[in-house]
Amino acid sequence: MKIDALDSAGLRSTPERFARIVLRDKAGLSGLVLFVAIVLVAIAAPLISPHDPLQQNLRNSRLPPAWQDGGNLEHPLGTDNLGRDMLSRIVYGSRVSLTVGFFGVLIASSIGLLFGLTAGYVGGKTDSAIMAVTNLVLSVPYLLLVVVVASVLGRSLLNVILIFGFTNAPLFIRVTRGEVLRLRNSGYVESAISIGASRRHVIWIHILPNLIGPILTVATFEMSGMIFYEAGLGFLGLSVPPSIPSWGNMLAAGRQYIQFSPWIATFPGLAIVLTSLSMNLLGDWMRDVLDPRQRRNSK
Amino acid sequence: MLLALSAMVLLFSACGQAETTEPELSTLRVAVPTFPNSLDASVAAERNAQNVSWQMFDSLVWANEQNVIEPALAERWEVSEDGREFTFFLRQNVEFHNGEPFNADAVVFSWERGIQPHIEWSDRWARASAVERIDDYTVLITTAEPDPLLLGVMAQHWNIVPPVYTQEVGDDRFGESPVGTGPFRFVEWVREDRIVLERNDSYWREGLPRVDRVVFRPIPEASTRMAAIQTGEIDIVNRLTVEQAGALESIDGVRVVTYPIDRVFYITFNNLTSGIGEPTMDPRVRRAMNYAVDRQAIIDSLFGGRAQLATGLMTPSNLGYDPTIEPFPFDPDRARELLAEAGFPDGFEIGFAAPAGAYTNFEQVAEAVQGFLGDVGIVTDLEIMESGRFWDLQAEKQLPPLFGDSWSERSGESLPRLRGALGGWDASFSQWSDPVIDDLLDRISVTVDQNERAALYRELHRYMQEDPPFIYLYIPETFEAVRSNVQDYLPRAAEDFFLMFTYLE
Amino acid sequence: MQRYLLSRAIQSVMLMFGVLVLVFFLVRLTGDPARLMMPRDASPADVEAFREAMGFNEPLVRQFFGFMTNALRGDFGRSLHFRAPAMRMVLERMPATLELALAALAFALFVAIPLGVIGGSRPGTIWDTICRGVGLVGQTIPNFWLALMMISFFSVSLGWFPTFGRGGVRSIVLPAVALGLFPLGKFTRLVRSAVLEVRNEDYIRTAYSKGLLDHRVYTHHIFLNVSVTLVSIVGVQFGYLLGGSIYIETIFSWPGVGRMIHEAVQARDFPLVQALAFVSAGFIVLLNLLTDIAYVLIDPRIRYED
Repeated sequence: MKIDALDSAGLRSTPERFARIVLRDKAGLSGLVLFVAIVLVAIAAPLISPHDPLQQNLRNSRLPPAWQDGGNLEHPLGTDNLGRDMLSRIVYGSRVSLTVGFFGVLIASSIGLLFGLTAGYVGGKTDSAIMAVTNLVLSVPYLLLVVVVASVLGRSLLNVILIFGFTNAPLFIRVTRGEVLRLRNSGYVESAISIGASRRHVIWIHILPNLIGPILTVATFEMSGMIFYEAGLGFLGLSVPPSIPSWGNMLAAGRQYIQFSPWIATFPGLAIVLTSLSMNLLGDWMRDVLDPRQRRNSK
Repeated sequence: MLLALSAMVLLFSACGQAETTEPELSTLRVAVPTFPNSLDASVAAERNAQNVSWQMFDSLVWANEQNVIEPALAERWEVSEDGREFTFFLRQNVEFHNGEPFNADAVVFSWERGIQPHIEWSDRWARASAVERIDDYTVLITTAEPDPLLLGVMAQHWNIVPPVYTQEVGDDRFGESPVGTGPFRFVEWVREDRIVLERNDSYWREGLPRVDRVVFRPIPEASTRMAAIQTGEIDIVNRLTVEQAGALESIDGVRVVTYPIDRVFYITFNNLTSGIGEPTMDPRVRRAMNYAVDRQAIIDSLFGGRAQLATGLMTPSNLGYDPTIEPFPFDPDRARELLAEAGFPDGFEIGFAAPAGAYTNFEQVAEAVQGFLGDVGIVTDLEIMESGRFWDLQAEKQLPPLFGDSWSERSGESLPRLRGALGGWDASFSQWSDPVIDDLLDRISVTVDQNERAALYRELHRYMQEDPPFIYLYIPETFEAVRSNVQDYLPRAAEDFFLMFTYLE
Repeated sequence: MQRYLLSRAIQSVMLMFGVLVLVFFLVRLTGDPARLMMPRDASPADVEAFREAMGFNEPLVRQFFGFMTNALRGDFGRSLHFRAPAMRMVLERMPATLELALAALAFALFVAIPLGVIGGSRPGTIWDTICRGVGLVGQTIPNFWLALMMISFFSVSLGWFPTFGRGGVRSIVLPAVALGLFPLGKFTRLVRSAVLEVRNEDYIRTAYSKGLLDHRVYTHHIFLNVSVTLVSIVGVQFGYLLGGSIYIETIFSWPGVGRMIHEAVQARDFPLVQALAFVSAGFIVLLNLLTDIAYVLIDPRIRYED
């Protein structure tokens, strides 16, 4: 069952085989399609949203979606409590979610790579120190940590990104370190070292490329988590400022109306579920394709 | 095991007996939107906690629904010529819930406790500079300066406590299981879950209270509060949104209660720092800007019409409010005329700020104001700021010349609000100084006679309409709901209530 | 083995010490804890007085040692808002949260184990699809959203459960389901993989197909693998449950620590926040320690080094 890292590199270089794996997993494929669609929506937000997401029209507040009585096609998903177009806000909200997720993961994985590599490769006291801090942060309940830090720092997009970036870093450190340790002890890195390869060479040629798979996999799950938790912070009034249309803020504002204008909270909720779902499917699939060692089962 | 069993048998038989002799206990279930931090009214940090606490206490005086001061634990009082000495004659034969007698010593002890710095509302107790016992049922209360608001503050904040019990348990424990003379006595407080009070059978107000039990349930989530009143798990809820109130109106078994609260929203001008040299120094410009904003449209669209137009920073429940003063009508032509007269026919540009997330829909109000001002040529550079930063800058007088804010007041008079918002350099949140206003406020603050003070308020009210230091916006309403069998629930403009009158049909 | 457990215990104690350090510096992230803890509209004079009273003017080193000595005695100072010892307040609320967390955990396991076993034993069937679906859905639906929807449907429309509060079995159903949804998803996925893993292990497959392994032994293998997987994840999930209770307890007015975290953060009551963080972390650390012990007991093959 054990597949050597070299083999997996070989596997990636064979396009047909790659494509076959992609197509074989329908769930993964649909996740990919969904995710690409969401990214496209975020990029093309100004083109596809029918209205300005911040434009209020108080005479038109809490208009139901088009398919319900009283709704109209001008606002396909209805309007919120201030008469802002729900569809446009959902579309623009994807930008906030993806920004938070992308940059959050970028920061977390950069820190994770740097410290994970150091810990795993240098070892010794450096390793113990890094892992001590890592375990420390991981022992505080994640949400509690995020909520407390958010309340200390105050509401802004940058703060939200930084909070997710730093609080998620320990996980990346752990994964990176584990991989590095495994690779170091694998035969081919040992042999590279034994024939006199420099440390830089070993890290850049033999270790880093093999970290991409596991890191990408974790990144996908964590990005989904950040999008999920941005909504959670929004619910507590600790996410981005209310003037920014984020799904979390929309959900938070919509909860007052849940019994009589349920669409205001339902659509951002669905958006979060769909995005999260797509990334989870994608993550599962990436784990299978990019990281065959962790492949758990026959599909 | 046997013990528990016999205890249960005893309990059941006791219940059985109670049922035969007494009718069913009537219980009022009230949702509170926050978690009381203490049940001691002098420590309870905010209005909701105070509302729970005050059901168990009395003060020497009481403010009725019309905000007129009435006797409570004091049967009557006399005020000296200079307005600095109040002699209170106390009600006799009143007992605290634990049997301690109420007398002059209790009043003196309560005050001495109240002025200690660790008491949340010590500044309210400290409005009196001395409280002395004359005899068992007479106390003399002295103030450093004549203080026309003293009685109102006493009614709001001076909860009289039993000396022996309070000293015995200490202030912290007192806040957890308080003892007062009020209509209800404390039974239990299951933290964050329920606070149970029971009827004080020997209450000095004859025939009150009218229910046997009150149970307060903290429910912080507004949508859960709304669900709980719908299902009938709760009899009274407050702090609903206008939309929730609208939705509840159509539901059987629920009655919506709504009333204006003692809070005024406004846009300030500045003549102390950032506004110096701006066109808004000219009273004609300030009047023009009041004409330019269609405040009724804002109220209609953002608050479902449920708010009142403000005049002169006073609310109708305040002493000296003059109902004959008409709010500025929406008249953009008049606004343009005044601007031209003042030398700005093409308008001007000016900075404008508002806090984010601090008040319901206030960001939208600010944006609407911006739009209306733009229509008469006044271009504002609106900055919606994080509220913490906003108030920091406000305290430092570093906000732009225009900013939006609000001020609530619980004393029943507008003096603290007017002083706070217009007190010039002396008041930390004021950006405005006007000698005429200063003079009137000074006179109000030393006049003890209610009628004279009301006359001064009216004069000020009129003056502030002619030379407005603000764009007056609106006085909001608050929305509550009760089950339809709840009678005589009488909340007041400060969002406070006394449940002794309330009963269930 | 005893040496291993001892060293793990020492590690845990050190970890808690680290948590104290973290908690100390957390409220100093912005540099000025006094401004952070005072109401937004407090006057500069009030802030200064508060700073003096709280000892924030003293050298940081002294503040740190003061905090540590008190904390080691269980004294986290007084809650600024509730005016009571912070630690006592947290401990008073812990039982309600534990009750809810255990109920949520029980719900999650009760559904996840059978579902995961069925899905894992019959890969590719409709059961497996359901199993994978539940796994995904559980992890993608925000619990607070579900909570609000459930109140509006089960409590208001149908009247089956109370909308809020703690009291009686019926009151715990909705909060436990809402809170348990996420672990349910996680557990379902893990149980399924654990079952699949055993099925796919070559020696077992061979032995089973050759009839060398009787059904009971086979079941035993699966059971073992599933329990090892679940035990290893319970500690982590418990951390999630504590976090998730912030939402669920607030929405259902459940009188526990989660609601208190929300409250303490809103009231800027940071001594209370510190105590809350310490106690929550303590639970996680303790659970991880217990997990390790349980691990050793379930599966003696686990090596004690590292």
